[in-house]
Amino acid sequence: MSGGPVVGGFGAAGGDGGPVVYDPYTLPADDNVNPYAFSVALDGQWFLQKGKMIAYYGQVDFHAIGYGPLDRLVAANFHSPLHAADWVVAQGRGKMLLADRSYDINSYDLDDGNLTIRSGNLLAFQPGLALKQSIIPGFLTLIGTGKFVAASNGAVHFVEPPIRVDPQALVGWADCPSPCHHYDHAYLRGVLGGIRAMTGIGGASGEEHQFEFVGAGQVLLQSTETLMAEQATGGVPGQAGPGVPGAGAQGPGAGPRFGR
Amino acid sequence: MARFRLQGTRVLAVDLTGDSVKAKNGAMVAYDGEMTFKKMTGGGEGLRGLVTRRITGEHMAVMEVKGQGTCYFADRATEINLVRLTGEKLYVEASNLLATDAGLRTGTTFTGLRGASQGNGLFTTTVEGTGQAAVMSDGPAIVLRVSAATPLTVDPGAYIAHTGELRQQLQHSVGWRTMIGEGSGESFQIRFEGEGLVYVQPSERTTIGGQL
Repeated sequence: MSGGPVVGGFGAAGGDGGPVVYDPYTLPADDNVNPYAFSVALDGQWFLQKGKMIAYYGQVDFHAIGYGPLDRLVAANFHSPLHAADWVVAQGRGKMLLADRSYDINSYDLDDGNLTIRSGNLLAFQPGLALKQSIIPGFLTLIGTGKFVAASNGAVHFVEPPIRVDPQALVGWADCPSPCHHYDHAYLRGVLGGIRAMTGIGGASGEEHQFEFVGAGQVLLQSTETLMAEQATGGVPGQAGPGVPGAGAQGPGAGPRFGR
Repeated sequence: MARFRLQGTRVLAVDLTGDSVKAKNGAMVAYDGEMTFKKMTGGGEGLRGLVTRRITGEHMAVMEVKGQGTCYFADRATEINLVRLTGEKLYVEASNLLATDAGLRTGTTFTGLRGASQGNGLFTTTVEGTGQAAVMSDGPAIVLRVSAATPLTVDPGAYIAHTGELRQQLQHSVGWRTMIGEGSGESFQIRFEGEGLVYVQPSERTTIGGQL
């Protein structure tokens, strides 16, 4: 346990061929316990999505974002105003287990980098990182140095651009490739193609639309096309005005709002 | 005595040599040898047990499997965890219990508010004696040791079972901020103190307290 008080030694657990028994000293520090659970060695603060903590040892307090003694930390690291209701700050010292609907959990280290991720997949991050809403609706961007924890439906694969990926398989991307839409128009040309496009008769393969990435960086894919439950990113504030993607189109009171 | 072993992580294989095992009704997926399946009304503790289970909502449809050979059990592809008991008591939700050795006694106890906060009712099932039990979880269970120096706090939705001498206490921090939607999301927690083991699953049931 990094930096924590170590009182007496426990036997390392396990024994008689039974399941592995963990205690605060044998739980991994900032690493996976099994593919579906992650153990955080908490000594300070972590940002968590609500309800992803399954158990903890030690003294940990959970503070909602938006009030309380951590105002300054939140101001420096959390820039997603309408998203705040979904996140909490865990503060204290101990070991904390995170999990999400028994999906695969992975941790990633960013070193003065950036990574954009689907909002429902992000579970937790260290305060060294700043969380911002991506320009692309439904995605969040982490900038800075530190560790974060993300869930995926099946194991995550890292691929390098140039690549086209299925929208449902995309988890996120790092280091600024250029995310854009790609349509297979050839398939939809001509009269027959037009009928196909409009009615779906004649067999659409369901793969006419992809996300395309080019440039230097990494793209993260999950191994199924089953999406995780979308987590509200909160829209852009309505007063953001024209020209801001998503402005006025999401969140409470949907519908365009101009000239506020 | 029946021998429990795991075939992969989601199928329980029980080797029987003329003895019997109690299992959740309908959980048999295959067997090898000669088996008889007998439905046990009310969980198999006689009339009193039957009445108690009806009243407390901890009723389980249990069958007794007897025979020679190997019987395989599985339920909705949930992960299965083996628990070996040597005289101690296992507390587990009836819905998470897949099979128990015939030599183990099952009963019902009052859990208090914790049950209510998990959406599981106010009662839980106990398994007592010497032998093996199979407990189901959504994702492989993690076994956490609790000792006097290291109390443990668990989210009610992730808790599945515990053994040992543990005191449990529901912690809550519901204030006016929870009411206006600014809760911490971890308002209800169970704190375990004493000596024992707690089984948690890497997933959370939807609970009444879960959204607070």
